[in-house]
Amino acid sequence: MFATALRDLRSSLAAWRLWCLLGWLEIRQRYARSTLGPFWLTISMGVIVGSIGVVYGALFNQNIADYLPMMGIGLVFWGLLTSIINESCMAYINSAGYIRQTATPKLLFMLQAGWRNFLIFLHNFLIVILLLAVFGSKDWSTVSLFFPGLVLFILNALWIGQVAGIISARFRDLPQIISAMLQMAFYVTPILFQPGMLKDHRWIIDYNPFAHLLELVRGPLVGAAPDTLTWTVGIVMAVAGWLLALALTERYLKRIPYWV
Amino acid sequence: MSVIRLHNVCVDLPVFELSGRSLKMHLARLGRRGRIGKDNDGVVIVRALDDLTLTLQEGDRVGLIGRNGAGKSTLLRVLAGIYAPTAGQIYSRGRIVPLLDIALGMDELSTGRQNLRLRGLLLGMSNAEIRRKIEEIAAFTELGDHLDLPLRTYSSGMRLRLAFAVSTAVDADILLLDEVIGVGDASFMKKAEGRMLDLQSRAKIVVLASHSDTVIHQMCNKALWMDRGRIREFGPMDEVAARYAAAQSAG
Repeated sequence: MFATALRDLRSSLAAWRLWCLLGWLEIRQRYARSTLGPFWLTISMGVIVGSIGVVYGALFNQNIADYLPMMGIGLVFWGLLTSIINESCMAYINSAGYIRQTATPKLLFMLQAGWRNFLIFLHNFLIVILLLAVFGSKDWSTVSLFFPGLVLFILNALWIGQVAGIISARFRDLPQIISAMLQMAFYVTPILFQPGMLKDHRWIIDYNPFAHLLELVRGPLVGAAPDTLTWTVGIVMAVAGWLLALALTERYLKRIPYWV
Repeated sequence: MSVIRLHNVCVDLPVFELSGRSLKMHLARLGRRGRIGKDNDGVVIVRALDDLTLTLQEGDRVGLIGRNGAGKSTLLRVLAGIYAPTAGQIYSRGRIVPLLDIALGMDELSTGRQNLRLRGLLLGMSNAEIRRKIEEIAAFTELGDHLDLPLRTYSSGMRLRLAFAVSTAVDADILLLDEVIGVGDASFMKKAEGRMLDLQSRAKIVVLASHSDTVIHQMCNKALWMDRGRIREFGPMDEVAARYAAAQSAG
């Protein structure tokens, strides 16, 4: 099952030097000769977190020490998720030059998009550290859960990216559709607001897979261990999603050079 | 034993109109399909290769000849494994290296040396292989200290030298070339020719698409005459090239 897709995945992983280098070069190109480089993103994210924290904190009558870390950490991870998905849409389209001239494995280009955005995320992670240093966590013992949470979070981002990337190569409207849908998802996911504020409408986040994904990484950091349901949703999504992504890859991998 | 075997290979290239790419048009068409029945999918299909059966063996130096649009480049891409045939089978053994665009993936902001590494990885060299060869490649470019400057400071001749030096350092069982690579000034040209010959002699099978009679005569022992996506003739270079030249002059 999935022989072609798995072979491609294996050789893509083996070529890690190539996608790490290509991903890094893209970041450098974007921030060439600016002194702060990708830290400009950190600064702009920091400014957003600060201003939203003050305004919405007041609007929702929230205690800033609770609200700011929840919202700030949520925003950083939401940025990681959406940038991986949005840029994976363009992973194959933008690599057309490579795909049509050499016979490299294909998943490599999706891993490259993932790696590039993970590097940017590491810059933004400074904000998370800063927030935790200032406001602390309610319970530091849950921090170790952050690492399995992060792995699940990224595995989920990657399969969504791979599915989106393949379909986008064929149908060029998809990147726009996806970015609009992610914009909508942002407002129904507890980032700007806290789950408790929903009162009778908790179903909005109970049935929102993004809310569970976010809780996998944010919960452990702010001292709230994710519950069993959240772990289950994360694991089931990752397994089912990767099966879907591999099935799609198996079926359409060979068409990609014809589409881009 | 290096070998490539094609069996009834066809390649249909889709030419997407602007509307063919659009999900909206696709869905709208799904809705219409019931009523109109047969509907054009919005995608034009061009048969670039039509039913090719062919075996290339060790020692073959094949010159691909034919007019523009005869399918030479598409055939090279199929041999390289870039395009999977839409029908038929391809079987190959040996490390295949296509040198279709030697300047592919050069990065403007990286130094010459970093670009050597990047190109090496893209050509499928291992890290150890690159480290082993990089000094020899660097020496061949004759770029000296320029190798530590970013590529954007290079002249086009210097870029070509860099790309040529690293691309020809690769070890290939099966080498695929689209036109012979021309490089820079006269003195370097001489050196480049020698290196090109060396690269070809190391490879067990060479396929070279070219419009130049001289090149085909110098480098090939067989010729494959492509005509509108089909094989017109495949055989000893002298005979096929002569008949191709006759057909050309006859118009």
